[in-house]
Amino acid sequence: MTTTATLSDPNVATTLAACAAPLLAFAAIFLGARRFARLSAGLSIGAVTVSLAGAVFLLAANWHAEAPQVFSASWLVSDAVRIPVGVLLDPISLLMMTVVAVICFLVQIYSLGYMAGDPGFSRYYGFMSLFAWAMLSLTLSSSLFQLYVFWELVGLSSYLLIGFWYEKFSASQAGKKAFVMTRAGDVAFMLGLFVLLVGAGTLDVTAVNGPAAARMNPSLITLSALLIFGGIVGKSAQFPLLTWLPDAMEGPTPVSALLHSATMVAAGVFLFARLFPFFRQSPAAMGVFLVIGTVSMLLSSTMAMVSRDIKQVWAYSTISQLGFMIMGLAAGSFFAGVFHLTTHAGFKALLFLCSGVVIHALDTNDMFEIARKKGRRLKLAMICMTLAAAALAGIPPLSGFFSKESILAALAALDNPIWLAAALLGVLLTAYYAFRLIFIILFPRPELVQPESGRGHGSGHGAGTAMGSALVVLAAATLALGFAAAPLARFLSGDPAAAHPGPHLPWLPYAGIGLAAGGLLLAWFEFGRPAADQKGFVERVPALAALFANRWYIDVFYARLISRLVDRGLAWLCAKTDQRVIDAGLDAASKHIIRSSGVLSALQSGMIQHRLLVLFAVVVMLGLYFIA
Amino acid sequence: MNWMAFTPELTYVAMAAVFLGLSMAREDHRRDFHTALVFSAVGVGVSLASAGVTADLFAESYRVDLFSQVFKVLLACGFFLVVVLCNELSGVKRRLHPEFYLLLTTSTLALMLLVSSVHLLTIYVSLELSSYSLYVLVYLRKNRPRRESTVVHYFLIGASASAVMVFGIALLYGSTRTMYAVEMARVLPSVISQPAAAIGFVMTLAGFFFKLAVFPFHFWAPEVYEGAVNQLTTYIATASKAAAIALLVRLTALGDSSAALAQVLVVLSIVTMTVGNVSAIVQKDLKRLLAYSSVAHAGYVLIGILSMNPAGYAGAVFYSAALVTLKFTCFMVLVKVAADGANITVDELAGLHKRSPILALALMLSLFGLCGIPPTIGFIGKLLVFTAAVEKGYFTLVLIAMINVVISLYYYLLVLKAAYLTEPKAGLPPLPVSAGDRLLAGTLIVLIVGIGFYPDPVIQIARSAAAVLL
Repeated sequence: MTTTATLSDPNVATTLAACAAPLLAFAAIFLGARRFARLSAGLSIGAVTVSLAGAVFLLAANWHAEAPQVFSASWLVSDAVRIPVGVLLDPISLLMMTVVAVICFLVQIYSLGYMAGDPGFSRYYGFMSLFAWAMLSLTLSSSLFQLYVFWELVGLSSYLLIGFWYEKFSASQAGKKAFVMTRAGDVAFMLGLFVLLVGAGTLDVTAVNGPAAARMNPSLITLSALLIFGGIVGKSAQFPLLTWLPDAMEGPTPVSALLHSATMVAAGVFLFARLFPFFRQSPAAMGVFLVIGTVSMLLSSTMAMVSRDIKQVWAYSTISQLGFMIMGLAAGSFFAGVFHLTTHAGFKALLFLCSGVVIHALDTNDMFEIARKKGRRLKLAMICMTLAAAALAGIPPLSGFFSKESILAALAALDNPIWLAAALLGVLLTAYYAFRLIFIILFPRPELVQPESGRGHGSGHGAGTAMGSALVVLAAATLALGFAAAPLARFLSGDPAAAHPGPHLPWLPYAGIGLAAGGLLLAWFEFGRPAADQKGFVERVPALAALFANRWYIDVFYARLISRLVDRGLAWLCAKTDQRVIDAGLDAASKHIIRSSGVLSALQSGMIQHRLLVLFAVVVMLGLYFIA
Repeated sequence: MNWMAFTPELTYVAMAAVFLGLSMAREDHRRDFHTALVFSAVGVGVSLASAGVTADLFAESYRVDLFSQVFKVLLACGFFLVVVLCNELSGVKRRLHPEFYLLLTTSTLALMLLVSSVHLLTIYVSLELSSYSLYVLVYLRKNRPRRESTVVHYFLIGASASAVMVFGIALLYGSTRTMYAVEMARVLPSVISQPAAAIGFVMTLAGFFFKLAVFPFHFWAPEVYEGAVNQLTTYIATASKAAAIALLVRLTALGDSSAALAQVLVVLSIVTMTVGNVSAIVQKDLKRLLAYSSVAHAGYVLIGILSMNPAGYAGAVFYSAALVTLKFTCFMVLVKVAADGANITVDELAGLHKRSPILALALMLSLFGLCGIPPTIGFIGKLLVFTAAVEKGYFTLVLIAMINVVISLYYYLLVLKAAYLTEPKAGLPPLPVSAGDRLLAGTLIVLIVGIGFYPDPVIQIARSAAAVLL
């Protein structure tokens, strides 16, 4: 099946160079280059260029490769615990590697303009390199353990990129939430790996996808698949761990574009695709994934309908599109999920980068505020943003239309029509919220528009060359990628027909286009047309609007749960004991005879007796246990 | 008799004698510090030199084998490092410095005797010697209100644990008719099913549960950690824990065959780690927080011990080395930040990364290690004990431990948040960190990450040490 390569193989050498370059850049920046901002940026961009060239070379060289290539060595923890490490080159890893390298490269170029003059410029590029290294290595990992390590490193660099930047973020509840939520998912992931290791005896990706899992007990397969999916839920911000992603938007916009839309959060979906043959062995687990993908997709679409913050809207939309991908994969179509992952990386990064230009120029995230400050005069950004929003909505001939259509086709192949119906509803909502934002910015209500002011922000201050060029490249990709469906399908699954999974339903594309157009028109009616009062139908029902704006009260639920469980429960008890020791000790000390009270207070405060009582009670219970 | 095998202990006897003399001489705290430094460095050298020696001494009640020698090296290193931190021993009156070193030395000596003891009475006597030294040491802190209460608290719990232990030894002797560990290993499997033997066995472990702060013998930990001088707290959290782990491993290896014993340890382990982690969340004082974190780690170590397989014992030995490294790094930062010897709260770490980047880095890596984030020495430790437990089928236990790890992440991150993300209070100068401190911090960082990447040599040592027991 697989061919084993050696170090001298050009593929392996290129891969290692592509992965190692950003790590070297990271080390160089933190060891010395930090004082020289331009040098740091140069090192980082140089390294990511090497990675990009490597990725493109590998993709081209292996475009017609017959079998996946594996290069493995082992990390000798001890003679009994041997952890294989290696590189696995197969279509999904090569495609993901290329996507990551391209987006990393473009975002770093873009950041030259966005971060210019920032005091933490070098540090920013250092962390960007760290992220690039971790993310590229994640995609190429040949064993799940290795993947897990890089998975954590990616999470760490994300935390560093936001946290070191915006000190208020990590200090805030939101920062803690992001970390705790993704960690909760990761614990499930790690447990899943444990189950897999116990059941299949290996964590090697090709073995898990192939023979090793076939030997496993079916219930163990389901258990480990569900637990591993926990990690995907955390990383890709799916229900019920979806609320951290919108909060993570406080970081710089290029970071949001790179990590929180195109690559890091997509790592969850990538993992799903990576283990697709394994997951497919458990129909029960696939059913659960389908439900979770659908619920996340619909919930986050509704949240996006009422938000006023443009980055939040794109964040919700990211969750929703990741939900779409998971639906596609869970419906059994490998190609549909991966193709949507690829196109989404392009147009969502574009959306964020355009928003970055707008936010940079106008200093606000609020879409109504942007409209008032005449955001539409930032021509390049607005054209690109509209294009990307159209791709997001699934308007032909943009990339999003093709990938969404293949997901719809995959869902149509399922017996139960409810999934297709849900996805079609999702298409409608997506078009609605995307164009709600676009129309609000493009067609501000005339009476609200700020008169010309002498402030420095204005039309002249749009995207610079660095930022503009990144936008143009991504816009071109958004236009072109859709037509790559058939070759990609051949590359990914060896069969061009995979681009159209499921039965041939001639009405399906029209239904998709129709609903997208419907959503667009509804948005136009409510926000775009000159007489519109720019109030959505959701906002006319206050209870519904509040429900959506408060994220279906998921956070409130968690806060209550945690405060009940931890604060009021155990921790309260412990704090109480603590207080009682100190307070009661002090009180007793003051009550009793003063000079010799030190000893007495400890004896008479009552606490030491209680503790000794607990001590001996436990010993007695242990004794009883043995006698019984 | 082979006196060579006894040289590490003799070194510490000599050191104690010297400090006994110095305590009667004129007050000179620099002289005391340098003497202690030289002696403890020699102690490290001697214990390293005698690492390969094996012998049976004192009517076979004292065994020098690889297991004991590994722990002696660990204890000697821990003691040396603690002495290094005593450069600014501002929490103790200068006049009392020789006594401080004297008692620290006797305690270390006792721990060394402990790890080599294979007779229940020598075990008991060594344990008491080390505890009594510590009781007095806790009292030596100056300007501490209610220090008597802390000591009495410590003493009462210690004495209760000892009472339980002695009772256990009596029961054990009653059922096996022997005090020698070697013979007991032979007799015990046939009688362990009798309640008296099993109860006796668990109660004998109580003394080490106390040392290691395992529930329900953990109540002293927060008070004592808070009340003791920072350097002494460091010692209690590192060297004293390592010796307790050593003895728990040595004794549990005797009762290998008992499933009931394993179940008791499972329950204690779960309760211990949960109590430790949940209590740590609400702590403000850094030492109290670390005390509860130690309690939690005692729970994790028990996982390795209760697996009762070679992998588990080796894991526990490795874990003790990891704990010494990681806890020492945390406390080193604490001692340096609290330069006047006072206790510090978590908030007082604010802006540490600006005041001293290297200490902040050391703190970050040690906390990552304590949570078990790869690639650190702490991750390997957890990996080893958890895989040993899974091998034995304790799946639920590992699951609970992992949930605990997530809880622990929360409070470790609170500490990190203070160190890295909070601005220092205006006017706080950069911390004075000498070249020696930098070297020490750098070495610890290299150890934490280096062993995390390439743990094989240490694992080999741990495995061969544990193999001696079986």
